[in-house]
Parts: sequence; structure tokens; C-alpha cells
Amino acid sequence: MAALVASIYRGISYRGAEGQWAWIMHRASGLGIVLFLYMHIVSIFIAAIGPGPYEWVHATLYTSPPAKVLEVFLLFGVLYHAFNGMRIIIIDFFPALGKYQRTIVRIELVLVVVVLVPAAIITLRGIF
Amino acid sequence: MATSSSRPVQGKIQYGAPNHERRIWLFMRLTGLVMFITVVFHLLYMHMVVGVENITFDNIDSRWSGPAGVFWRLFDASLLFIGMAHGMNGVRFSINDYVHNKILNFLLTAAVYGLGLFLILLGTIAIVLGVGGLGNLFQRLMG
Repeated sequence: MAALVASIYRGISYRGAEGQWAWIMHRASGLGIVLFLYMHIVSIFIAAIGPGPYEWVHATLYTSPPAKVLEVFLLFGVLYHAFNGMRIIIIDFFPALGKYQRTIVRIELVLVVVVLVPAAIITLRGIF
Repeated sequence: MATSSSRPVQGKIQYGAPNHERRIWLFMRLTGLVMFITVVFHLLYMHMVVGVENITFDNIDSRWSGPAGVFWRLFDASLLFIGMAHGMNGVRFSINDYVHNKILNFLLTAAVYGLGLFLILLGTIAIVLGVGGLGNLFQRLMG
């Protein structure tokens, strides 16, 4: 656990610019997606039990206003992890592109924002 | 001889014999590539086309019914298996980075894999039996 605390401290203080922040966000989004996946699988299993229990889960965990805000974090987390993962794959298989990795991180973030903004607007439309 | 041949040459990647962690590295890239298509489609389709408020019991039931239902169940099963395998591995990477105590590392990894396999089982039951399927099965067993 001390290693985790030290790693978080170094992560904040290291100032490794684009590549390091891309790595931190990849890990944070990955762990967040896994936690969401746990909830997602359990709620689909509850749907297998019957409509009554599922409707309660659907209303409280997925369509309440706090859930809608968390949904935007999910959209960001999955889109970021997907696009950043593609960057990792591209640089792994074409190592020569490594020297442009800062530019590639910026292109990737633009792509994430371009997909995220309409998705977030559609998601949050209902609660305003 | 051995030292000169294993010395890395600048600008060239030296490939040794494939080992377990290299196969996992490739596994993470291949599953990532597949999920770039399947998971992003699933996310955008469910959130932007269907809408989360419309994913009701009947909505899942109709998507999983009929001939197209077989396709959607297989598609959802691929999300479950590939997503959980990729995710469990990612959690294992994180545990290995931060937990250096061998016993604690083993216990945490075992807990993550145990929970992951249990959830894969729950998800598979839901996909095979369908929505309401487990409740109907229990009712039939109870008479």
C-alpha cells in the first residue's frame, strides 16, 4: 500500500507531460471501467431474476440524476481508454511513431472530445 | 559470444523466445483492437441510439428474442468474456505495480480472479436463460 501512495505522489509530482498523464488516465479509466462492469453484470443478472427487481435497479442505478452525471464519466472513461489504447497499439507496432507520441496524444484527446460532447449532451438532456 | 548476441542493437528491437507475459501483451492488444469496435459500438448504441432510460426489461427481452436475438446474445457474450478477461488482466498489472508483498499480491490477485470468474458465471447465466429466465426456472422447480 505504501507503494501505491508513493506512486500516486510521484505521479502528481513527476511532471512527465503528455505520455505520463496518458498512462495515469489509462490506468484510472481502466480500473473505473472494471468497477462499472461489476455493477453492469450484477444488474443484468438481476434482470434474469425478474422484471420487478430489474426495474428498481434501472431506476436507482441507471436513470436517477446522479447516475446520469456518472454516466458522462463512464462515456469519457470508455472513450478515453479505447482511443488511448489504440495509440498504445499503434506505437507498439510502429515504434518509429514514438517520436510523435505527444502529438498523437493531442490528436487522440481531440477525437475523444469530438465523440464525447454529443454523447454527453444526449445523456444530460433529460435532467435539465 | 552469448553476451554479444544478446546485446541490444540501437534502433532495432531484439525478439527472444515467446514467453507467457509476451503472449499476455499480445492478448491485451488483440482484445483491445476487437473491443475498440465492439465496446465503442455497444456504448454509443445503448447510450445515444437506444438511450439508457429505454433499456427496460422488455427492451432487453425483445433484443434477445428471435433469430436476431441469437446474434445479440453472442455479441453480448463476447463483450462479457473479452471485457472481463482484458479487465482482470489490467487489474493484475495494477496489483503487480503497487503490491510488492508476495503473499498480499497473491491473495489480491486470487480475489480479483475469483470475483471475476464468479461474475462471468452470473453474466453467462443471464445471457443463456434470458431476462426473467432464472425467475421462471425457479418457479418451475418450486412447482
